Amino acid sequence: MNTIGQAIVNGIMIGGIYAMVGMSLNLIFGVMKIVNFCQGEILMISMYMSYVLNEKVGLDPFLSIPLVAIMMFCVGALLQMFLITRSMREEDDSNVLFLTCCLSIFFANLALLIFKSDYRTAKSVFENKVVHLGTMNISSPKLLSFVILMVVTALIFLMLKYTTLGKQIRAASQNPRGAEVTGIKAKSIYAITYGLGAAIAGIAGSCLMSFYYVFPTVGNIYGTRSFIVVTLGGLGSVLGAFFGGIVLGLLETLGAVVVGSSFKDALVFFIFILILIGKAEFNQKKQRG
Amino acid sequence: MKLNKKLLMLVALLLIIVLLPIFITVPYIISIFITTFLTISCSLAWNILGGMTGQISLGHAAFMALGAYITTMLLNYFNISPWLSIIIVFFIVGSLGAVILSPCFVLHGAYFSLVTIAFGEAFRNLFLNWELAGKGQGLLLTYGKPSFALMRFGSKAPYFYISLVMMAGYYLVIKRIDHSKLGYGLKTIREDEDTAKAVGINPLKYKMIATFISSGMIAVCGVFYACYVRYVNPDIMMTSKSVEYVLPAIIGGLGSVAGPLIGGAILVPLSEYLNASLSSIANGFNLVVYSAIIIAVIVLQPSGITGWYRHSKLKTRINTYFSKGKTNNAK
Repeated sequence: MNTIGQAIVNGIMIGGIYAMVGMSLNLIFGVMKIVNFCQGEILMISMYMSYVLNEKVGLDPFLSIPLVAIMMFCVGALLQMFLITRSMREEDDSNVLFLTCCLSIFFANLALLIFKSDYRTAKSVFENKVVHLGTMNISSPKLLSFVILMVVTALIFLMLKYTTLGKQIRAASQNPRGAEVTGIKAKSIYAITYGLGAAIAGIAGSCLMSFYYVFPTVGNIYGTRSFIVVTLGGLGSVLGAFFGGIVLGLLETLGAVVVGSSFKDALVFFIFILILIGKAEFNQKKQRG
Repeated sequence: MKLNKKLLMLVALLLIIVLLPIFITVPYIISIFITTFLTISCSLAWNILGGMTGQISLGHAAFMALGAYITTMLLNYFNISPWLSIIIVFFIVGSLGAVILSPCFVLHGAYFSLVTIAFGEAFRNLFLNWELAGKGQGLLLTYGKPSFALMRFGSKAPYFYISLVMMAGYYLVIKRIDHSKLGYGLKTIREDEDTAKAVGINPLKYKMIATFISSGMIAVCGVFYACYVRYVNPDIMMTSKSVEYVLPAIIGGLGSVAGPLIGGAILVPLSEYLNASLSSIANGFNLVVYSAIIIAVIVLQPSGITGWYRHSKLKTRINTYFSKGKTNNAK
């Protein structure tokens, strides 16, 4: 019983990070309808930013969150303005797909070039501190990350619902041309959205840096998982990404208990495939009848 | 006389390529040719599903790796010749691909790409943990004396010819498909599935046939890969490997038969050159430059080289050169 309880707690905690990366992807996916295969690498860049700030300035990963988020916003907005908008086409999204694929290769190897392939860690004040919850143990960086996730989710949710920018983003997502007619510049909204997505990934990266290590291909692990989160939670839904992330985290840790840790990844992918196909079949049936 | 002049040039080009191993004795250069032929073959196979049918699969490396694994296991455990496994692999992996991807055809666009990534990763995770497949270390093909029956040669020249024949064969097969009922059906599905249904094309059936041919053909590339490299491990199932087979088709021009051929002929030597000249300076440098070049091409020339060629002055110039003889003849 205790192992399962611990697995559930661990699953929720790791799910928090998945949720945050998924949310960053979902904002981009939902608004621009583009597949962004370099979101994992965006996370990797922010992890390295947090690492450098920790190594050179001595900033705690949690304290570097605002700085990393602002820098990632700029990175994301520039990326969107100069590359992705140019290859976006209404009828065919395959070009963006390939572009982001190549960007992910580019970023991963740039990191390899600059930082070598070593695994690097950052030092945090919260490291090695454990919170006891009944018989369960939770490491405090993970708990703090989870709290930050909840705050971020709430902020993004409120922002999209009540602010002018949020309304503009939703308008551009529902009908880009209609939004243009009402005076919203869809292209700048796209740049802001991508920037926001990258900034959320920046927050996730800084949190992750407090208890995980960074290496050039770390984006692979989180990139594919963020797609699973988005599919689980539904396109464009912030709360969906939140719960999708936690469900994925639980699936992974509980799967590890059930089928053994070596097959848990395969299990996660098979479940993902089943959900994806199941959802599509369901939608088709709904359309017909 | 248009055809004769073109044919003559083609035959001359082919002759030069065929005679290459006799004049070039540097194994490294021959190996670049072999890699180029292999990548082009994979890209041609991918292009049936990805380019012609418009189903962008990013898990094709898994099918190739399955072919390589099956060949290695058949040879190591049952002593079955790779020549025989070409047929076995084509049918087994082709059917497997058609069966496992058939439920995925309800998905469109990016979702289909996602599901193929998931399949590729799931297969990789299975092979990473499968005892008989050597787990993470992978499998070595048994060593021994060179023998034709086991596709085991001492020099690189026989591999050069096998891969050349494979590439040429694939090109001809796909050229044939392109102008057949199947090819037109697939292209109709790519452009508009509802229209395809309206004119009596069963999209599911056509997509399954395309998947069968595509995954079967790329699995046969895997047979050659296993015999040439003589070592298979789960790394060859990575999504980044799938992207490697997709890139020639994109750079060359998605959906056109000549696209992967031209794209591969440019990209593979380029990547080898960058690898040789830059990777010694710093790890990863070559791939940074390589991907930057590809990004530039995708952003600046989205329709690829064949798309550019279709609207360029070069085409009119070449066409007038070839049509000169034709008009003279007509007079």
